[in-house]
Amino acid sequence: MLKMHNLSKIYRTDEVETIALNNVNIEINSGEFVAIMGPSGCGKSTLLNIIGMLDNPSEGDYLFFDENVARYSEAKLANIRKRHIGFIFQSFNLIDELTVAENIELALLYHDIAASERRDRVAAVMDKVGIAHRAKHMPSQLSGGQQQRVAVARAVVGNQSMILADEPTGNLDSAHGQEVMEMLQGLNEEGTTIVMVTHSPAHADYARRTINLFDGQVVTENLRAA
Amino acid sequence: MFSNYVSVALRNLVKDKLYSFINIAGLAIGLAACVLIALFVRDELSYDQFWSNADRIYRLNTTFNTPGREPMVTVMAQGPTKDALKAYFPEEIEAVTRFNSMEVVMNKDGSVFSEILMWTDPETADIFDLEVVAGDLRQTLQDNASLAVNESFARKHFGEGNPLGKTVTINLMDIERDYRIGAVYKDLPHNSVLNFQGLAKIDENDFTKQNWEFSQWYSVNNYVYFTLKPGASIRTIEDRLDDFVDAYIEPPAAIGNAKSSTYVQYSLQPLTDIQLNQAGARDMEMKPTGDMGTVMAFAAIAALILMIACINFTNLATAKSTQRAREVAIRKVLGANRRQLVIQFLGESTVIAFIGLMFGLVLVEVALPFFSEFVGKDLVFDYFDGGTIGVLAGLMVVVGVLGGLYPALVLSGYRPARVLKANKSAESSGSARLRSALVVMQFAISITLIVSTGTVYGQKLYATRLDPGFNKENLLVVRNTSNSGAVSKRDAFKEQVLRIPGVVDAAFSSDAPASGNESNISVRVADDDGERTVLIGVHRVDYEFFETYEIPFLAGRAYNRQNALDVTPNGFAAEPGDLLQGNIIVNEGALGRFGFGTPKEAIGRVVKASVGNDVQAQFTIIGVIPDIKFQSLKEVMRPEVYMLASFGFSNLNVRYIGDPRPVVAEIEKSWKSMISTVPFAYDYVDEVMAQEFEAVESQSMLLGVFSGLAIVIACLGLYGLAAFTAARRTKEIGIRKVMGATVTDIVRLLIWQFSKPVLIANLVAWPVAVWGMLSWLENFPYRMEAWMLAPLCLIAGLIALGIAWATVGGNAAQVARANPIKALRYE
Ligand SMILES: Nc1ncnc2c1ncn2[C@@H]1O[C@H](COP(=O)(O)OP(=O)(O)O)[C@@H](O)[C@H]1O
Ligand SMILES: [Mg+2]
Repeated sequence: MLKMHNLSKIYRTDEVETIALNNVNIEINSGEFVAIMGPSGCGKSTLLNIIGMLDNPSEGDYLFFDENVARYSEAKLANIRKRHIGFIFQSFNLIDELTVAENIELALLYHDIAASERRDRVAAVMDKVGIAHRAKHMPSQLSGGQQQRVAVARAVVGNQSMILADEPTGNLDSAHGQEVMEMLQGLNEEGTTIVMVTHSPAHADYARRTINLFDGQVVTENLRAA
Repeated sequence: MFSNYVSVALRNLVKDKLYSFINIAGLAIGLAACVLIALFVRDELSYDQFWSNADRIYRLNTTFNTPGREPMVTVMAQGPTKDALKAYFPEEIEAVTRFNSMEVVMNKDGSVFSEILMWTDPETADIFDLEVVAGDLRQTLQDNASLAVNESFARKHFGEGNPLGKTVTINLMDIERDYRIGAVYKDLPHNSVLNFQGLAKIDENDFTKQNWEFSQWYSVNNYVYFTLKPGASIRTIEDRLDDFVDAYIEPPAAIGNAKSSTYVQYSLQPLTDIQLNQAGARDMEMKPTGDMGTVMAFAAIAALILMIACINFTNLATAKSTQRAREVAIRKVLGANRRQLVIQFLGESTVIAFIGLMFGLVLVEVALPFFSEFVGKDLVFDYFDGGTIGVLAGLMVVVGVLGGLYPALVLSGYRPARVLKANKSAESSGSARLRSALVVMQFAISITLIVSTGTVYGQKLYATRLDPGFNKENLLVVRNTSNSGAVSKRDAFKEQVLRIPGVVDAAFSSDAPASGNESNISVRVADDDGERTVLIGVHRVDYEFFETYEIPFLAGRAYNRQNALDVTPNGFAAEPGDLLQGNIIVNEGALGRFGFGTPKEAIGRVVKASVGNDVQAQFTIIGVIPDIKFQSLKEVMRPEVYMLASFGFSNLNVRYIGDPRPVVAEIEKSWKSMISTVPFAYDYVDEVMAQEFEAVESQSMLLGVFSGLAIVIACLGLYGLAAFTAARRTKEIGIRKVMGATVTDIVRLLIWQFSKPVLIANLVAWPVAVWGMLSWLENFPYRMEAWMLAPLCLIAGLIALGIAWATVGGNAAQVARANPIKALRYE
């Protein structure tokens, strides 16, 4: 599905130059469940952002379905992104001023989808993650676990083939964390590719493959026996 | 503690430059506009307060209630009222004086010029404490061969030397006399409704042939002022004014056998009230006066502009409050109580108000000369005069508190625990809603001002482009043709003028357009039960008048020289009691008054009128013209007759083609060669008519400037809000972008957010503006169509929306282009 070749990301600010990713070579196939681990600041989020086309790499190639998107413009990336990729963040990133349903609908808003179909799909996905009874609530009225379910719903409502989750359980207690992991596992079993950053070895165990990053470089890759 | 507050305040100012700039610039502009308008308003309110008798000087105004017509209010009274008032109210009235302004021809050492002097009574010196710099004013006014002049007049004609004792020869009607300069007084300050450069004593013997000037009860030509005795009550006089009228004035024939007081009514106006309270036609005052409406309107505009600036203050402070929540929380943790915090924040806003005021004063200094010239006053801004500093300090505190109170209360109310722990938007939805409401208000005010500006300007255009019913282009009026030195030669002069190349037509008339002169005659019309008397406006015109003015006829014909009956018969050439015959031309409005049906039906009908010397004439209507707007565009059309009579022919109307300058030069040459004792004077008719609307034009320009300022300040605020809101919404914008929103989507979102209040503002502003402007337009008899307000409202709305978009658009584009992951990082 995607392939990275000698990919680097360098942040330049006025004074310092940070090499966030250094010569990364990764290949991820459709239907995989990959966990990315590593100490804080090693470049996990950066990698995920580039995979998710929220950012361009500084050097190297990024092939997404055999299309090299490394130098694509923001608008072009946005167009690919919204068709294929869903996001889940550690801090949920729901819009405080919108209801649960509206937050989920947001992922369809920028596609050409009729309002009635949007409503149906939002309702279906809310059922699936078990928050249908909270549709009219505001995010601030929900627990962390519930908010993350909304985020998961938002990530999949557009039938995205890949979900990128950056520490999705980082702000949750273990019970809620477990719930979210099971939800992700379920999605993976239905065929969704999942790439997840996590600090928890237990949660990494849900993945078939673990990539360990250190200082912007891939140090090891472990494959869990099926 | 205090120095800590000040340093935090100043550091905040420096740190957040955009915020400080918007607040300070907005306040500076707002306060400067306020100070300028306040100077104007104070000046208008100061008129004639400086006389030592200011509180007991009154003027006698006369109203004529002609049956079937609007009452005619004049700011003058008849000459005989002077003695009559004194005799009728001996207990109440101390002194009475008259002013009657006359244009005289002066001859000084062989040079001839004309000047306007004021004829007055000796009591003027008692009532008005004019500042005499040389000579004796009282003595001068006792003598019918002495003049008192002001310093400018003295300097103009006598240079820097001592003018006392110098003589000038004055020609005025039957007067031809040497006048000695007996006194010089300081020029009247501009804030007086009185205006005269020279005073001469009224000697009624000088005017026996012109007895209407001072001795008749049917002619109002004098401003009559009197002083009330100290302790007397003006009410006592007012209550007996009707009795006074009945005691002195014979009832005129037109009112049948009703009492005189039903026809003539007096009212008393305090001197200090004259400038702002228009009692009669404004152009009858010694100089143009102001009016309370304008003063109130400008005071309101000042308040509104200041309000817009204060709103910026409140809005930006609450928008920014999230950024300061942490500081508040920490201060609270360290023991500050709410009251201390409120004082701190109010102190900060007062500091900003102070800085704004300082810059505002700089603006005032820069703008004052232009503003003064524009409003035609010499306004001075004196920091140390009576309470100016106090007022400014007051203004600063009011602005500081007005702008800072709400944010201070909100900020000081934060719960530290929540702010410090959650670190999320501590802002309540209440203050966001208040902010939107305030933005709506700012734009509603701005839009109302734009609509008003457009309407005032539109009305001015309408009035100046209105078809008056005659051709006002290529037409000029030569003045003074009835002055004593010109009368005998004017027919020959007209012949000369007609021979000048470029002159097409020429005709004399008693009045010229826009003169506002009001002259009436009583006409008797036969009806079912005998005769009925109708008072009707009259113009006296020459044979070629209708041709020169290009006035079309609805029926009948113009006067012509072949028909001897066209000339108004002269009663003095007949025996009293005779009934003479004549022809007459009337306007359409007169037909309604006479009850004569259509113009065609009216031809041949007859009316009777007195032609002097107790002689009546029977006039046959030979022509009917439309209601031309000859008298003034500011007055309603009146029924009029146009008589062919040379009486009072003071204007020679000349129609020309091509470049007027050589024509005027030739006319002047002929005048000078024929008439040496009367100065040559002329006007272009279209210019004279446009001058009537100069005041409206300058009003519209001032309004335009101030509404421009209002919008600038409102947009400054909007820009600041857009910046802060965008900063606050970066997370939301980031999420939307991750979800696939494009830059255009985001820009549209942000612009819509700021368009909403502007659109709502339109809904608020339109009815207010339309209502206000419709009532303003009521002031004009000829007004632009009311439906024109609809496009004006739309345009104003679009202007406001356009400006708002331009203001927030750049910022929105910048925010929308930012990389979303920056906003979504959570380390
Ligand atoms: N926008 C940025 N500008 C500059 N440096 C950045 C930026 N984003 C991340 N970095 C730096 O890049 C490195 C990797 O960051 P990140 O990918 O967020 O790490 P992780 O998610 O593994 O904790 C860090 O040193 C971080 O400081
Ligand atoms: Mg990270």
